[in-house]
Amino acid sequence: MNVTATLRTAVAFTILVLLHFTLRPILDWRAPIDFLVIAALLVAVRVRPGMAAVLGCAMGLAADSLTPSAFGAGALALTAVAFGASWLKAVFFADNLFLNGFFFFLGKWSFDIVRLIAERRLRGVELVMEALVWSPLAAALTALAGVVLLIMLRPLLRTSTA
Amino acid sequence: MARAAGSGTRTDVVLFAVSGFLSMLAIILPANLRDPAAAGLRRTVVAPLVALQRRAELSRNALLSHEAATTQRDSLALRAQSVYAVEAENARLRRLLGLGQRLRWGFIAAEALGDDERREDFTLKLTAGSDAGVRTFSPVVAPDGLVGMVHTVDPALSLAITWSNADFRASAMTVDGSAFGIVAAHLGSGADRYLLELRGVPFRNELRPGTMVVTSGLGGVYPEGIPVGTVLRELQTSEGWARTYLVRPAVLPSEVTSVMILRPDRVDAGVPGVWASSKASDSAARRVVTAADSIAADSARRLARRRAADSARTVAATRAAAPAAAARVADSARAPGVSPAPQRTAPPPPAAPARTDSAAAPVPQPTNPGAPRSDTTRPPSP
Repeated sequence: MNVTATLRTAVAFTILVLLHFTLRPILDWRAPIDFLVIAALLVAVRVRPGMAAVLGCAMGLAADSLTPSAFGAGALALTAVAFGASWLKAVFFADNLFLNGFFFFLGKWSFDIVRLIAERRLRGVELVMEALVWSPLAAALTALAGVVLLIMLRPLLRTSTA
Repeated sequence: MARAAGSGTRTDVVLFAVSGFLSMLAIILPANLRDPAAAGLRRTVVAPLVALQRRAELSRNALLSHEAATTQRDSLALRAQSVYAVEAENARLRRLLGLGQRLRWGFIAAEALGDDERREDFTLKLTAGSDAGVRTFSPVVAPDGLVGMVHTVDPALSLAITWSNADFRASAMTVDGSAFGIVAAHLGSGADRYLLELRGVPFRNELRPGTMVVTSGLGGVYPEGIPVGTVLRELQTSEGWARTYLVRPAVLPSEVTSVMILRPDRVDAGVPGVWASSKASDSAARRVVTAADSIAADSARRLARRRAADSARTVAATRAAAPAAAARVADSARAPGVSPAPQRTAPPPPAAPARTDSAAAPVPQPTNPGAPRSDTTRPPSP
């Protein structure tokens, strides 16, 4: 990735992180859109898996600092998701919005499941409901938002994805 | 090449393992180590993002509270609107209380039940009947003056005709007692239907607009001194022996909600001083008008004297200038070749003094000093 592509990716990443801390609290949905996962996936497919894992760990720790009781759970989940996304970048590079959306869906759902297991906050039916109902719903919304953002940021990311 | 790829893969795996290990370590950290670590991140790297999130949540709360604030504001606006009605009600009740304190005894307080019918037949339903001491032909009054008369009495309810009823009659007079007449409803159309007529005023009594009319006490139904209304203007009638005046009523029945019914013993005793403030204000108004008239008459007299002095001075100057002019004409006729000098006229009279009051009439400037000035020798009519 050259300097221009790196800068453009950094801009897109910054926008997504800002959306995560501004738009998401305003929406305050029960199944929230996870812009951090979108940002992590967006960067992960553009760097090596090891770097993607480090980035995911850092982002996860930063996000977990706001929920100290589950400190580390998000970091572990985002590390795994970013590392896996970077390994599967060939799929993500397909210039197909449906495939991209599906990738966002899988990434968000995987993130939620790993985080739910790692934080050990929910048990039994609540865990199942959260993992099979609310997490897929949130993953679907995140995938939809990711596709919309990809369309909006396409002029910014075109060079790097070409 | 393959070695490089394999080295890169191993590096990736190592980085992933390290990241995973750190994450697991963060999960299993004891609280006394985990919390300082989280706090350190929150206060440094995540601090700007936390500030953004806090502002976003404040904005969301503001958006959510906007509807509640709007509802609350609307409620306050509605309550504020009702405050005006409550204030008006308080003022009306205070005035009624003041009337009760001035009457002191011999009255029955009643509420006028409002409905649309009373406006059609010009009657009032009053919430006091014979059980409370109400009798027929009892006067019904309000703080502003006469409302009407009780017509029918039931044990707990009574009906009163208002002054706007076609059957209403009351003997009335001016406040100073200089003119008497009979007050009745003015059976006009539209808004004039809610005016009164003062009929049968002797032709010699000319009433000015604004003159207050009160009950005269004649007839035994209404005691003397209850305000009826104020004179608006004279009505042209075919009667040549009496005048009829249009009177603006003191009380509008449509706005009456609480009244006082005077008991017969109170009617016999009269209501001296109860509506004295109204009389006093009318007397004050009349005094002001009289004083203004006096000032205007005095100004007119002074102006007339000034004009007469001006005329006298002008006539004297004209008479003094006439012999000298004749002598000059004769001298010119005796000297040949010399054209006669132009005849000089009398000097113009001095300018009229500046007007010192607005009541004085404008001073006409004379165009011909020799002409008789009849306007300056006769004082203007008042």
